[in-house]
This record gives sequence, structure tokens and C-alpha cells, in this order.
Amino acid sequence: MRRQVPLILCFAFGIVMALTEFSPHPFSQWLNEEIIDWTLVIGPFALVLAVATLVQSHWTRIRRRSEYWQYSFLVFIGMAAMVLIGIPLGQRHEAFVWLFRYAQVPMDATMFSLLAFFIASAAYRAFRARTLEATLLLAAALIVMIGNAPVGDLIWNTIIPFEDNLPSTARQWILDNPNLSARRGIILGISLGVISQSIRIILGIERSYLGGVEGD
Amino acid sequence: MELIGIWVAALLTLCIYSFLYRDNPFYRFAEHLFVGLSVGYGIVLTFHQGFIPFAWNPLQEAVTKQEWVGLVRLIPIGIGGLFFARLVPSQGWLIRYPIAILIGVGSGLAIPNVMRADIFEQVHGTLAPFAQIHAGELGPFQIFGVVLMLIGVISTLTYFFFSVEHRGVVGGVSKIGIVFLMIGFGSAFGNTVMGRVSLLIQRVDFLLHDWLHLI
Amino acid sequence: MIEKLMNIDRRIVFILVALAVIIPSLLEVSFPITVSQPTRSTYDYIEALPPGSTVMIGFNYGPSSLAELHPMAKAVIYHCFQKQIRVIGMTLLAEAATLGDNMLKDVAAEAGAVYGQDYAYLGFRPGATQVLLGMGTAIDSVFEADYAGTSLTEIPLMADVTNYEQVDLVLDLASGSSTEWWITYTNTRYNQQIAAGVTGVIVSQMYPYLQTKQLIGLMPGLLGAAEYEKLIDRPAKGTEGMSIQSFAHLLVVGLVILGNITFFIQRRQGE
Repeated sequence: MRRQVPLILCFAFGIVMALTEFSPHPFSQWLNEEIIDWTLVIGPFALVLAVATLVQSHWTRIRRRSEYWQYSFLVFIGMAAMVLIGIPLGQRHEAFVWLFRYAQVPMDATMFSLLAFFIASAAYRAFRARTLEATLLLAAALIVMIGNAPVGDLIWNTIIPFEDNLPSTARQWILDNPNLSARRGIILGISLGVISQSIRIILGIERSYLGGVEGD
Repeated sequence: MELIGIWVAALLTLCIYSFLYRDNPFYRFAEHLFVGLSVGYGIVLTFHQGFIPFAWNPLQEAVTKQEWVGLVRLIPIGIGGLFFARLVPSQGWLIRYPIAILIGVGSGLAIPNVMRADIFEQVHGTLAPFAQIHAGELGPFQIFGVVLMLIGVISTLTYFFFSVEHRGVVGGVSKIGIVFLMIGFGSAFGNTVMGRVSLLIQRVDFLLHDWLHLI
Repeated sequence: MIEKLMNIDRRIVFILVALAVIIPSLLEVSFPITVSQPTRSTYDYIEALPPGSTVMIGFNYGPSSLAELHPMAKAVIYHCFQKQIRVIGMTLLAEAATLGDNMLKDVAAEAGAVYGQDYAYLGFRPGATQVLLGMGTAIDSVFEADYAGTSLTEIPLMADVTNYEQVDLVLDLASGSSTEWWITYTNTRYNQQIAAGVTGVIVSQMYPYLQTKQLIGLMPGLLGAAEYEKLIDRPAKGTEGMSIQSFAHLLVVGLVILGNITFFIQRRQGE
């Protein structure tokens, strides 16, 4: 019941989906669409997992008085504010949109913009032409950076009177050629991995998704 | 309300930027509040745009319109409801049922579609231009690009092929693969710098334009 | 001296970065933009669509990437409205739902587009790949109502758009894996034409799909927005941002060169 049934379910649903993808028969298409509808219904419930894990971890921090435990209350306050406004009043209500627009958006956007500072600092400290490989990486990065910046073409066109817009042309060539080849190699490698892993999951060889949950 | 909103947004922005000096209570305040708000937002959206249309509405319709066939929806709703078993430690194993179905369906869908989109199409894209070379449709510079692409794809794949020791010819080819990978990663770094700086420009624009009205 | 330069406090670098953005912002500098082919292809495709065509836009980015993708969304949507091309917005990402709603409303107000006739916003549904596949059968099997809760049967625009067959182009504005999902599950299975506007972080990995025509066009982050603004002759945040960006790029290039010069001098001294 605890391990065998999930393995059977995974096998049955996996095989049916893979086979019905190939068959144009109306029953096959109906089955394919019906199962997709089922997963659309099941999927949203997975949110329970995410919320339960977050609440549990912050509640544990408060209970154990871990370092900075007081801040965990803010997590609950933020979550409660959104839920208490959004669930009864709807996602388009003014108050809900206000909280999103003036609290969540600026913090999220600013958090990620911090990386501009760290990436510049890392470029200064760690971006060294120590080996041939590192030099290639560095050269490609510099060409793309200069090619991306409009001032790159402007400086080039002002100083050098031939091959207009060479920086942006060089950048585009790198992206269209060596970058494309490397990325395609990676895509092919990953895809072969995805397919073999999917087969292993369906056949029950790969079972890590069953995890080791409480009550096992 | 908009003015208050802009001040709140500006202060929260500065709280986050205070991290650039060092970790401090203002940053931690904003960081934790952000986590809470984001999760709350996700719950509300998933409730209104997920639970209600996919689970509640069909069920209600089936009951009110006496369309008992619609009650078939009870099966996936019941399976989805097993996720709540996570809240009862002794019954936690029940969440394996919905997870197994979702993973099975995802895997079943991935096999044919990934094979077509990422393997057949990509291999076709690598080899098809040789037909154009044969038909005399490409110039010398384009032919160079096509040959370079083939060398790049094969050598990159060789680099990731760990079943054979990277010595001799294989070692040489995989070294060429490293050259392509490094150029690829370098270009990704260059583009990442652009991405991250864009985010900073937008925040500076907000502070100088919307908040301080300096520009 | 070299030692000092090597171990410079990182906060000095932070200040330089801040100044490289703040000063040009205050001076309101502007540089000419060169349009790249992948952006031009997106523009050309939309430009060639006859009035009354339908473009579906996937707002698949959160607030963390809006700086890069909002200006792009604005430029493309404006172009569509100008050409009397109908726009259907949707998202696979919860945190993008409000962003997409506001963006469409704002541009529609500027362009004089009418909700329900010129555009519609379906909102968010959880389930990503299943949502994409479900829309292939029938859009209303996934979105039975729009973001405001109005039934699709009451939206005139949706009367003759039942699935991908009536969608002339999908434009995915992405900060994550959504473009790959569109390619894998809608281009491959339904032969749907797809273009993408993505963040700088992921743009490099999209090039293989561009060469195979699985993507008909590709716009790279804020630069893509600036390029598109130039093509529709409506400079805005993208153009402004890329001019400011130039200074930050020059600073990073300068820092890399300085870092390497000090590194080589130190290595030579060590030898």
C-alpha cells in the first residue's frame, strides 16, 4: 500500500501518457486529455506541501529560539496579511494589489538587483586570465558586454572608420556560432538524461520521489 | 494611497540595499516580510486561479445542476486532497499517491515530446544545413559557420561523454569541446551582467524618478 | 600599491557601480541602438500579420525580472494594438498574474484598445505543461473565465479563439524555463509559432532553438526592449536603460582589465 501502489500508479499513468501521445485514435486522445485535466485538478493541492514546510520551519525557529527567531513572526504577518485580504476579497482587490505593488514588487526587484553589485565585485576579483580556457571565457564575456552596450558601437564607429558596428556584430556572431554549438551539446545531453530518467521513473527503477516520509 | 505606497516601496528598497554595507536588522526585516508576502500571494493566486476553477466550480456545478457525471471530478479532488496528509505525521505516506501520479504523467509526457523537440529537431538543425551546402545555397562564411557548428556540437557532447576515458583522440576532441563551452559560458556571463545591471537601473529610476522626482 | 589594489574593500566597487548608474540617470544620456537580427525577426513577423490576427502573450516573469521584460512587453503590445492585432495575455507563474493584468491595462489605455475586443487577460493557472497542453484542445477547458472572473463566452474576442489554431503567434516573456515548455509542448505538438523575449541570464541558451526555427524570434532582456522600441519608433524605458547600461558595462570591463593587470604584475613580482 505504502510503496507498491504509488509505483503502480506512476507506471500506469506514465505508460498511458507516453503511448496516447503517439496514437491519433479518438479514445486515446480523450484519455490523454482527461488525464491532463486530472493533473490540473491535483496539481494546486501541492501548495499544501510548500506552505506546510515553510510554516513548520519558521515555527520551529520560534519554538527553539534560534538566531533571529523574532523575524519569523514577520513571515507569518506578511503571509496572513496577503491571505486575509486576498482570499475573501479576491486577487484584483485594491488592497491586495497595493500590497503586491508597493511591498512585494520593490523588495523582490531590489533583492535581485543586489546581484549587479556582487557580479561587478566578482568580475574584479575572480575573473582572471590564468589559463587558456579562462582567457577564452573572459574574452567572450568582454566582447558580449561591449557588444550589448550601445556605447560600444558608438565608440568603435567614431574611432575606427571601417566595419561599422563591429562590437555588436561580433557579439551576435559569438551567440550565433560557438555559443549555439555549446548550448546544443548541453541541450542534447540534458534531453538524453531527461528521457532516460523518465523511463527509470516509469519502470520503478528510480524511486527517490517516494522519499522517506513520516508514518512510513 | 499612491504616495504612501511610493514611500513604503522606497523605504523597503533602502532596507534591502542596506545589506550592501553589511547584514543588519533593516535588511532582515525586509527579507522576512518579503518571504511572507510572496508565499501569501502564491496561496491567494493558487486558491482563486487553481482550486476554485479546477476543483470547486466543477463540483458545485455538478451538484447544483444535478449533473452527476461531473462528480467524476471527485476522484482527482480526492487524490489531490491526500496532500493534506502531510499535516498528519502518521499518515504522511499518503502524499505519495498524488506525487506518483504527477510524476508519472510528467515523465510520460516528457519522453515523446522532449525526444522530438530537443533531440530530433536539434540534430536536424545541425545536419540540415549540409543539404544547403550541397545545393550551393550558402556562401563561404556560412559554410564555415555550419562546419564550426557541427564540430562544436560533437566536441561538446564528447566532453560530456564520461563512459570513455578522455585520452588520445577522445581527449583531444573533448578539449575542443571545452573551448566551445568556455565561449558559451563567457557569453552567458556577459548577458548576465546586462540582466543584473538592468534590475539596478530600474530601482535607481524608481528612487530618483518616482520617489525623489529628481529626473 | 598592487597589494592594496588587489585587496580593495568590495564596498568601494559597490559605490563605483552605484555611481555608474546614478550619474548617467541624472544626466539623461542617450546612445543610438543597433537592432539585432533575432529582435528584427520578431518585429517583422508581427508587422506582417494582418489586422484581426491574434497574438498570445505569456507573462512568465516575476517582479525580480520586470526591469528587463516590462519595457519589452510594453513595446510589443503597443505594436500589436497599433496594427489592430488582438492580444490574449496569460501566465504560468503565480507571481506574474498581477503584473500582466496591470501591463495590459496600462498599454491599452495609451493605445485606446478595448477590453474584450482588442485584448483579453486570462490570468494564471497552476500546472505549467498541462496548462499548455490543455489549451491545445480548448482554451476554455483550462481558462473557463478571464482573470476578472468573466466567463470566456461573454468575451467577444474569445468567441473565435478556441485553441492554438486561431493563435497566430505566441510570445513568451520569460525569466525561467517557460520558453522551453512552450517549444516542447506547443511548437512540437501543435506546430504553434513561438517567439520569446527573455532575461539576459537565459538568453544564451535559447540560440539553438532560434536556428531550428522552433523560435521565430528572440529578444534579449533590456537590449531587446530598446531594439524593439527603435523598430516601432517609440523610445521609452528600454532605450533609456540601455544608454545608462553602457556606463555600467564600461565599468565592469574596466574592473576586469584592472583586475587582470594587477594579477599579472603581482605574478611577475612573485616570479
